[in-house]
Amino acid sequence: MRDTTQELEHWLRAGGRRVGQILIAPAGEGWELRHTDDAGREDLTVFSKWEDARAISNLDDAGAFRPLKTAPSLRHGWRLVLPDAHSVRLSLEYFYPAMLGVWLAHRDGEVKPVDLNHTLGRQTGMYRITQKLTHEQAQRLIAKQCRSNGGCLKTILWQISQGICVPLLPPEKFRADATAADTMPLLCQEACNFLVAAARKMVKDESPAVPPTP
Amino acid sequence: MFTKPDSALVIAGHGSTLNPDSSGPTLNLAEEIRRRGIFGEVHCAFWKEEPSLRQILHCVDREEVYVVPNFISEGYFTNTVIPRELQLGDAFTRVGRHAVKYCEPAGNHSRMTELLLKRAAEIAPGVPPEKTTLFIVGHGTNLNENSAVAAKREVDCIAALGRYREVQSAYMEEAPLISDWDKLATSPNVVVVPFFISDGLHSYEDIPVLLGITPESPGAASANVANVFAKNPYHLRGRTLYYASSIGTEAGFADVILDQVAAFDASHAA
Repeated sequence: MRDTTQELEHWLRAGGRRVGQILIAPAGEGWELRHTDDAGREDLTVFSKWEDARAISNLDDAGAFRPLKTAPSLRHGWRLVLPDAHSVRLSLEYFYPAMLGVWLAHRDGEVKPVDLNHTLGRQTGMYRITQKLTHEQAQRLIAKQCRSNGGCLKTILWQISQGICVPLLPPEKFRADATAADTMPLLCQEACNFLVAAARKMVKDESPAVPPTP
Repeated sequence: MFTKPDSALVIAGHGSTLNPDSSGPTLNLAEEIRRRGIFGEVHCAFWKEEPSLRQILHCVDREEVYVVPNFISEGYFTNTVIPRELQLGDAFTRVGRHAVKYCEPAGNHSRMTELLLKRAAEIAPGVPPEKTTLFIVGHGTNLNENSAVAAKREVDCIAALGRYREVQSAYMEEAPLISDWDKLATSPNVVVVPFFISDGLHSYEDIPVLLGITPESPGAASANVANVFAKNPYHLRGRTLYYASSIGTEAGFADVILDQVAAFDASHAA
């Protein structure tokens, strides 16, 4: 059985310090987390429970909802002090849901990336229409929605379909080994619901209008 | 109550890309059940938020995983979307290193009737049920004919008790439509209980508009100063209308989730 908390503790004690926009540092017997932009700040609001991560991560600096937690819009101005690696693990499940588990699974060879055409191909109901997304539309969509600057911080492990990449984004956006040694990569094994929903909108918006029945 | 230190629990919810309160009840349930120390680990997974149904098994350490859909009805999501996304074939499926046990959705539990009646009584204190029409409002969808079944079943159970003058089901997307509530109800008092998990997009932003108690969406409940529920009762269309909070925010839901796990074990005992 994997012990995710123990794996995280090993990583932290070996010098792991960054996850997405979060900086982690030793604090007494435990650990403290803060926004990377807030390094060195003394005027931060201090929180002390892992459950506080839920409210911290739910809204951005302007108070807008962050449905995609890997969007580069983490709120500033807080410092979360936690007693142990278990609490850090639980807080990371709010800050960056699933990212710790996907990283460990990827390391262990358990992650099988799913190409976009397969993800869209299995959609039903309101998302079935996304199967009409062309490769050209997919290129534009991914370049806009998944870009690290303003879209999503994850590293993309999948392709549009076998051999069809996304040249509009930099090559390191697709390399799981491109992160620094002290940084836990945020890995995307498959297009998320946000991208599928955006694909639906693009297909609907860009479809030729059907003339009204006379 | 049982303990399962060698098992994990995954509570599967809908979530929302638009409303910050939609995932709240499911996350609350996970925190509450985690506090009770019953399972070795407790997780949530969502259709529209993360962790997603596609990611969640990577996050689970233990081999044995109980998945309980925190959904009101057995329908499109519980029969199609969740099994497809988790790659389940049956009630018991081996997926990679995990043995997944897929339980009945929360809304199938027999305690729903009791929780709905409690909600209805709390929102309209002192209002005589014999002069009241009670609406149980579901989503309704043409994607799956079972989606409306849960609300109809609860209506039958409550009507059989004979307390309310009328008990009716109504829906957002299929007939009878909740927007026609004043045409459907014959009583002077009308109590509307949303048969939804959260006070999210549908129950807090859409249904109040369909009822006519707000001219436009009031926005998210958590960011809303002018609380829709605090303004009860509403006097409109010649009736007195009471609008309740979603049933999924009831405190008793943690026990419902645990009961669905126990029910899986009971029905699949060797």
